Amino acid sequence: MDTTTLALLVLSAASILSASGVLLSRDNLYAALFMSITLILIATTYTLFNIQSVFVLIIFIFVGAIGAVTVALAATLRYELVKIPVEKVWVIPMIIVFAVIAFTLYIYSPHRITIGYNPEILLPSFLSNYLLLAVFLISLSLVIMISAVMYVRRES
Amino acid sequence: METAIVLITSIAVLLIGFLTAISSRDLVRLLIALELMFGSVFLALIPLFSVPDFAAVAFAIAVITIFTSSGELLVLITSIIILDRKTKTVVTDTITIGGDKV
Repeated sequence: MDTTTLALLVLSAASILSASGVLLSRDNLYAALFMSITLILIATTYTLFNIQSVFVLIIFIFVGAIGAVTVALAATLRYELVKIPVEKVWVIPMIIVFAVIAFTLYIYSPHRITIGYNPEILLPSFLSNYLLLAVFLISLSLVIMISAVMYVRRES
Repeated sequence: METAIVLITSIAVLLIGFLTAISSRDLVRLLIALELMFGSVFLALIPLFSVPDFAAVAFAIAVITIFTSSGELLVLITSIIILDRKTKTVVTDTITIGGDKV
Protein backbone atom coordinates (compact mmCIF):
# COMPACT_ATOMS: atom_id res chain seq x y z
CA MET A 1 0.00 0.00 0.00
CA ASP A 2 1.60 3.27 -1.10
CA THR A 3 1.39 6.69 0.53
CA THR A 4 -1.47 7.98 -1.65
CA THR A 5 -3.70 5.00 -0.85
CA LEU A 6 -2.88 5.28 2.84
CA ALA A 7 -3.65 9.02 2.84
CA LEU A 8 -6.88 8.31 0.94
CA LEU A 9 -7.88 5.70 3.54
CA VAL A 10 -7.21 8.16 6.40
CA LEU A 11 -9.15 10.95 4.64
CA SER A 12 -12.06 8.60 3.89
CA ALA A 13 -12.23 7.37 7.49
CA ALA A 14 -12.12 10.96 8.77
CA SER A 15 -14.87 11.97 6.30
CA ILE A 16 -17.15 9.12 7.42
CA LEU A 17 -16.49 9.87 11.11
CA SER A 18 -17.25 13.59 10.75
CA ALA A 19 -20.38 12.77 8.68
CA SER A 20 -21.45 10.45 11.52
CA GLY A 21 -20.99 13.44 13.82
CA VAL A 22 -23.71 15.25 11.84
CA LEU A 23 -26.10 12.36 12.41
CA LEU A 24 -25.29 11.86 16.08
CA SER A 25 -25.04 15.47 17.31
CA ARG A 26 -28.31 16.77 18.71
CA ASP A 27 -27.49 20.46 18.41
CA ASN A 28 -27.82 21.87 14.89
CA LEU A 29 -24.85 24.19 15.34
CA TYR A 30 -22.48 21.28 15.96
CA ALA A 31 -24.12 19.33 13.11
CA ALA A 32 -23.39 22.29 10.76
CA LEU A 33 -19.78 22.44 11.97
CA PHE A 34 -19.34 18.69 11.43
CA MET A 35 -20.87 19.09 7.95
CA SER A 36 -18.32 21.83 7.13
CA ILE A 37 -15.48 19.59 8.30
CA THR A 38 -16.82 16.74 6.12
CA LEU A 39 -16.96 18.98 3.06
CA ILE A 40 -13.43 20.29 3.70
CA LEU A 41 -12.17 16.68 3.95
CA ILE A 42 -14.00 15.77 0.72
CA ALA A 43 -12.41 18.79 -1.00
CA THR A 44 -9.02 17.73 0.38
CA THR A 45 -9.46 14.36 -1.34
CA TYR A 46 -9.38 16.28 -4.64
CA THR A 47 -5.99 17.78 -3.77
CA LEU A 48 -4.71 14.28 -3.08
CA PHE A 49 -5.28 13.58 -6.77
CA ASN A 50 -3.80 16.95 -7.81
CA ILE A 51 -7.15 18.49 -8.84
CA GLN A 52 -6.73 21.82 -7.08
CA SER A 53 -9.25 23.81 -9.12
CA VAL A 54 -12.21 21.72 -7.93
CA PHE A 55 -10.82 21.95 -4.36
CA VAL A 56 -10.86 25.76 -4.65
CA LEU A 57 -14.40 25.74 -6.09
CA ILE A 58 -15.76 23.49 -3.31
CA ILE A 59 -13.99 25.44 -0.55
CA PHE A 60 -14.93 28.90 -1.86
CA ILE A 61 -18.50 28.27 -3.00
CA PHE A 62 -19.73 25.31 -0.99
CA VAL A 63 -17.91 25.65 2.33
CA GLY A 64 -17.08 29.37 2.24
CA ALA A 65 -20.45 30.65 1.08
CA ILE A 66 -23.21 28.07 1.57
CA GLY A 67 -21.53 26.31 4.54
CA ALA A 68 -20.88 29.57 6.37
CA VAL A 69 -24.51 30.67 5.84
CA THR A 70 -25.70 27.28 7.12
CA VAL A 71 -23.54 27.58 10.26
CA ALA A 72 -24.86 31.12 10.82
CA LEU A 73 -28.45 29.91 10.27
CA ALA A 74 -27.94 26.98 12.66
CA ALA A 75 -26.49 29.35 15.28
CA THR A 76 -29.36 31.84 14.87
CA LEU A 77 -32.21 29.33 14.72
CA ARG A 78 -30.70 27.03 17.29
CA TYR A 79 -32.79 23.94 17.80
CA GLU A 80 -31.75 21.04 19.96
CA LEU A 81 -33.30 17.62 19.62
CA VAL A 82 -34.25 15.91 22.84
CA LYS A 83 -33.97 12.53 21.15
CA ILE A 84 -32.80 11.74 17.63
CA PRO A 85 -36.00 10.38 16.05
CA VAL A 86 -34.46 7.64 13.89
CA GLU A 87 -36.23 4.33 13.85
CA LYS A 88 -33.43 1.90 14.66
CA VAL A 89 -35.02 -0.62 12.28
CA TRP A 90 -34.02 1.62 9.36
CA VAL A 91 -30.34 1.23 10.22
CA ILE A 92 -30.32 -2.55 9.60
CA PRO A 93 -31.37 -2.55 5.88
CA MET A 94 -29.08 0.43 5.29
CA ILE A 95 -26.10 -1.43 6.73
CA ILE A 96 -26.95 -4.51 4.61
CA VAL A 97 -27.26 -2.43 1.42
CA PHE A 98 -24.03 -0.60 2.23
CA ALA A 99 -22.19 -3.88 2.89
CA VAL A 100 -23.38 -5.39 -0.42
CA ILE A 101 -22.42 -2.27 -2.40
CA ALA A 102 -19.06 -1.94 -0.63
CA PHE A 103 -18.22 -5.62 -1.27
CA THR A 104 -19.22 -5.35 -4.95
CA LEU A 105 -17.16 -2.20 -5.44
CA TYR A 106 -14.17 -3.71 -3.67
CA ILE A 107 -14.28 -6.81 -5.89
CA TYR A 108 -15.04 -5.15 -9.23
CA SER A 109 -13.14 -1.86 -8.86
CA PRO A 110 -9.52 -2.78 -8.20
CA HIS A 111 -8.30 0.07 -10.40
CA ARG A 112 -5.97 2.85 -9.36
CA ILE A 113 -7.06 6.40 -10.03
CA THR A 114 -4.41 7.87 -12.28
CA ILE A 115 -5.33 11.46 -12.89
CA GLY A 116 -4.25 12.90 -16.22
CA TYR A 117 -5.07 16.36 -14.96
CA ASN A 118 -2.87 19.17 -16.18
CA PRO A 119 -4.23 22.66 -15.41
CA GLU A 120 -2.18 24.23 -18.20
CA ILE A 121 -4.02 22.07 -20.75
CA LEU A 122 -7.36 21.56 -19.02
CA LEU A 123 -8.32 25.14 -18.14
CA PRO A 124 -7.84 26.58 -21.66
CA SER A 125 -9.68 23.54 -23.04
CA PHE A 126 -12.49 24.04 -20.53
CA LEU A 127 -12.75 27.77 -21.23
CA SER A 128 -12.76 27.30 -25.01
CA ASN A 129 -15.43 24.58 -24.88
CA TYR A 130 -17.52 25.64 -21.90
CA LEU A 131 -17.09 29.44 -21.60
CA LEU A 132 -20.75 30.06 -22.43
CA LEU A 133 -21.78 27.47 -19.83
CA ALA A 134 -19.59 29.09 -17.15
CA VAL A 135 -20.98 32.56 -17.92
CA PHE A 136 -24.52 31.15 -17.88
CA LEU A 137 -24.00 29.43 -14.51
CA ILE A 138 -22.47 32.53 -12.89
CA SER A 139 -25.36 34.65 -14.26
CA LEU A 140 -27.85 32.08 -12.96
CA SER A 141 -26.28 32.20 -9.49
CA LEU A 142 -26.42 36.00 -9.49
CA VAL A 143 -30.08 35.98 -10.58
CA ILE A 144 -30.94 33.46 -7.83
CA MET A 145 -29.13 35.57 -5.20
CA ILE A 146 -30.81 38.83 -6.30
CA SER A 147 -34.22 37.10 -6.47
CA ALA A 148 -33.73 35.62 -2.98
CA VAL A 149 -32.79 38.99 -1.49
CA MET A 150 -35.70 40.75 -3.24
CA TYR A 151 -38.17 38.04 -2.15
CA VAL A 152 -37.05 38.16 1.49
CA ARG A 153 -37.20 41.99 1.53
CA ARG A 154 -40.68 41.97 -0.06
CA GLU A 155 -41.95 39.39 2.46
CA SER A 156 -40.65 41.47 5.36
CA MET B 1 -8.52 -0.17 -4.91
CA GLU B 2 -8.47 3.66 -4.82
CA THR B 3 -11.64 3.79 -6.93
CA ALA B 4 -13.34 1.42 -4.48
CA ILE B 5 -12.25 3.50 -1.46
CA VAL B 6 -13.55 6.75 -3.02
CA LEU B 7 -16.89 5.24 -4.10
CA ILE B 8 -17.45 3.37 -0.80
CA THR B 9 -16.79 6.60 1.13
CA SER B 10 -19.18 8.42 -1.18
CA ILE B 11 -21.93 5.85 -0.55
CA ALA B 12 -21.30 5.92 3.22
CA VAL B 13 -21.60 9.72 3.34
CA LEU B 14 -24.75 9.50 1.17
CA LEU B 15 -26.34 6.95 3.53
CA ILE B 16 -25.49 9.12 6.55
CA GLY B 17 -27.07 12.06 4.70
CA PHE B 18 -30.23 9.99 4.07
CA LEU B 19 -30.42 8.97 7.74
CA THR B 20 -29.97 12.59 8.82
CA ALA B 21 -32.70 13.70 6.39
CA ILE B 22 -35.25 11.14 7.57
CA SER B 23 -34.46 11.92 11.21
CA SER B 24 -34.67 15.70 10.78
CA ARG B 25 -37.47 17.51 12.54
CA ASP B 26 -36.43 21.00 11.50
CA LEU B 27 -35.46 22.60 8.22
CA VAL B 28 -31.91 23.57 9.23
CA ARG B 29 -31.00 19.92 9.83
CA LEU B 30 -32.63 19.05 6.50
CA LEU B 31 -30.40 21.66 4.84
CA ILE B 32 -27.34 20.16 6.51
CA ALA B 33 -28.38 16.67 5.32
CA LEU B 34 -28.75 17.92 1.73
CA GLU B 35 -25.29 19.50 1.85
CA LEU B 36 -23.87 16.16 3.03
CA MET B 37 -25.57 14.41 0.09
CA PHE B 38 -24.08 16.92 -2.37
CA GLY B 39 -20.70 16.30 -0.71
CA SER B 40 -21.01 12.60 -1.51
CA VAL B 41 -21.82 13.52 -5.13
CA PHE B 42 -18.60 15.57 -5.32
CA LEU B 43 -16.67 12.58 -4.03
CA ALA B 44 -18.25 10.28 -6.63
CA LEU B 45 -17.01 12.59 -9.40
CA ILE B 46 -13.31 11.93 -8.69
CA PRO B 47 -13.01 8.70 -10.80
CA LEU B 48 -14.28 10.65 -13.82
CA PHE B 49 -10.99 12.59 -13.83
CA SER B 50 -8.98 9.40 -14.33
CA VAL B 51 -9.88 9.19 -18.03
CA PRO B 52 -7.38 11.55 -19.75
CA ASP B 53 -9.63 12.47 -22.69
CA PHE B 54 -12.57 13.00 -20.35
CA ALA B 55 -10.84 15.42 -17.91
CA ALA B 56 -12.30 18.63 -19.40
CA VAL B 57 -15.81 17.12 -19.44
CA ALA B 58 -15.35 15.90 -15.85
CA PHE B 59 -14.30 19.40 -14.80
CA ALA B 60 -17.37 20.84 -16.57
CA ILE B 61 -19.60 18.30 -14.76
CA ALA B 62 -17.98 19.28 -11.44
CA VAL B 63 -18.55 23.00 -12.12
CA ILE B 64 -22.20 22.40 -13.11
CA THR B 65 -22.78 20.25 -10.01
CA ILE B 66 -21.21 22.81 -7.66
CA PHE B 67 -23.14 25.77 -9.11
CA THR B 68 -26.54 24.05 -9.41
CA SER B 69 -26.35 22.52 -5.93
CA SER B 70 -25.35 25.90 -4.49
CA GLY B 71 -28.35 27.46 -6.25
CA GLU B 72 -30.70 24.82 -4.83
CA LEU B 73 -29.33 25.29 -1.31
CA LEU B 74 -29.61 29.07 -1.66
CA VAL B 75 -33.31 28.72 -2.50
CA LEU B 76 -33.78 26.42 0.50
CA ILE B 77 -32.01 28.92 2.79
CA THR B 78 -34.33 31.67 1.52
CA SER B 79 -37.35 29.44 2.18
CA ILE B 80 -36.13 28.74 5.73
CA ILE B 81 -35.73 32.49 6.44
CA ILE B 82 -39.21 33.27 5.07
CA LEU B 83 -40.80 30.36 6.97
CA ASP B 84 -39.13 31.52 10.18
CA ARG B 85 -40.46 35.04 9.66
CA LYS B 86 -44.00 33.77 9.04
CA THR B 87 -44.30 31.00 11.61
CA LYS B 88 -41.52 31.95 14.10
CA THR B 89 -40.25 28.40 13.98
CA VAL B 90 -38.44 26.08 11.58
CA VAL B 91 -39.83 22.84 12.99
CA THR B 92 -41.42 20.83 10.18
CA ASP B 93 -44.31 19.59 12.35
CA THR B 94 -45.79 23.10 12.33
CA ILE B 95 -46.11 23.19 8.53
CA THR B 96 -49.78 22.52 7.86
CA ILE B 97 -50.20 24.05 4.39
CA GLY B 98 -48.74 23.24 0.98
CA GLY B 99 -47.87 19.92 -0.58
CA ASP B 100 -50.19 17.51 -2.33
CA LYS B 101 -53.28 16.03 -0.78
CA VAL B 102 -53.41 12.25 -1.15
